[in-house]
Amino acid sequence: MPKFLCLQRSLSNAAGPSERPSPAQMQAMYAKFDEWRQTFRDNIVDLGGRLGAGRVAVADPAPDGPLVEVKELVGGYMIVSASDLEEAVRIARQCPGLVRPGSGVEVIEIHAPPG
Amino acid sequence: MNPALAAHFFRHEYGRLVAMMVRRAGAAHLEVVEDAVQAALLAAVETWPRSGIPESPAAWLHRVARNELASELRRRARRGDLDAERALASEERAVEAPQVPLAGDVRDDLLRMLFVCCDDAIPVEAQLVLALKTLCGFDVREIAERLFMTEANTYKRLTRARERRRRAPVALADPSTEELASRLPGVRAIVYTVFTEGHLSSCSDDAIRRELCDEAVRLGEILAEHPIAATPETFALLALMHLHRARMGARLDASGGLVLLEDQDRSRWDQASIQVGLSWLARSASGSSFSRYHAEAGVAAEHCLAPSFSATRWDRVVSCYELLHATAPSPLHTLNRALAVAEWRGPEEGLAVLEGLEPPSWLEGSYQWAAVLSDLHRRAGHRDVATRYRDAAIAAAPSDTIRAALARRLG
Repeated sequence: MPKFLCLQRSLSNAAGPSERPSPAQMQAMYAKFDEWRQTFRDNIVDLGGRLGAGRVAVADPAPDGPLVEVKELVGGYMIVSASDLEEAVRIARQCPGLVRPGSGVEVIEIHAPPG
Repeated sequence: MNPALAAHFFRHEYGRLVAMMVRRAGAAHLEVVEDAVQAALLAAVETWPRSGIPESPAAWLHRVARNELASELRRRARRGDLDAERALASEERAVEAPQVPLAGDVRDDLLRMLFVCCDDAIPVEAQLVLALKTLCGFDVREIAERLFMTEANTYKRLTRARERRRRAPVALADPSTEELASRLPGVRAIVYTVFTEGHLSSCSDDAIRRELCDEAVRLGEILAEHPIAATPETFALLALMHLHRARMGARLDASGGLVLLEDQDRSRWDQASIQVGLSWLARSASGSSFSRYHAEAGVAAEHCLAPSFSATRWDRVVSCYELLHATAPSPLHTLNRALAVAEWRGPEEGLAVLEGLEPPSWLEGSYQWAAVLSDLHRRAGHRDVATRYRDAAIAAAPSDTIRAALARRLG
């Protein structure tokens, strides 16, 4: 089955800093995520994670202009397998917390080398 | 394998960790501690679905929260905050100590935190908010919902309570055994208030009300398990809470309407819970002290033991209300006594109890006062007076549920 890279995109002009969830809400979040993970356990290749600090290594001389760091656009990633892009989007969309005001998910097919 | 977490695990771990870390860092650092615990819980939500729940989730949370706290204290110490430096030193000493706290220590931490909340220099409403926040792990929005307050008001109370904690002398943060004992009545009062907020609340969400009652019982049990707080009054408080909670399921009908004691299906009362309540009541009978909790538990026990409303031992209910009035005078108790007397000796006798009683304005304007008078007058055959009080009761009802129950009952 083809694999897809899911990138959590922080959407610009998002509404302020999100409210802090309460312990009860966090437990509910955990339960929902766990349920999603169970439902799609055959499709989840890599649950990935959030992206931290990074650095861009470039060839000398450095190209002109500012380099946009991926971290500013992408909050986290994971890899799922699905029969097609539609299914992959459906799986990612159902992941709790990924698609909400201020955040969306971009799903990209990973072309594996043939054979 | 990811076994499910226990119900309220996050909320209760929040309370446990805050209590444990505040004891080391000092109550002045309450807010920093709460932030650190919050961060640890968030880290768990992000990590555990990937890594699986660690073997000891509590120890995992403790470690993360402690690191969060230490790095924040270090940041503050670098800026010349001497208090933070002291707290950091105490935190680092604790790290060298055994990693797994003993059950007795946890109990002790929670109890002390309860005492930190119940400082009589803080208004009672603020104590209540602080206890629900730090010990029960509710956030401001959840507390506001449960106490029928605005979020702004809740936040103001919390800030005031924390402010007081910051300014309090260090010694207050870790009171001696004698000081703990002297503040015990205030602590019991807060536990009792948490319970009544759940039990008597006009909030129509049964789950929310029950949750507050469960929290109060949990705090009560922390008291009862501790040598300092294990006194007859504490046992009576637990008896009273269990005996009320046992009957909660029968208080609402299928559509959420209030069912009066008289009409309740007694087979729906939780007999196991009644037995627990009765055994606490038996334990509370030792010693010479008699508190309002004893009297209230006595009333509740009579109702629980009665096979039917009419077969209730009303004479005993009446004497419990008399004792209650003697220990904690309130015209509300007189009102309840009048009802019990009416069941025992007839409506005229019930009305006689209220004769000459000048209710304070808060009671006179309440639906309870008007409802009791309407009921007693109707049964005594005074129709016009009964109708007048009925209209007043319905007009003063604070919620639709209560209004509907009154309309049904007062005809």
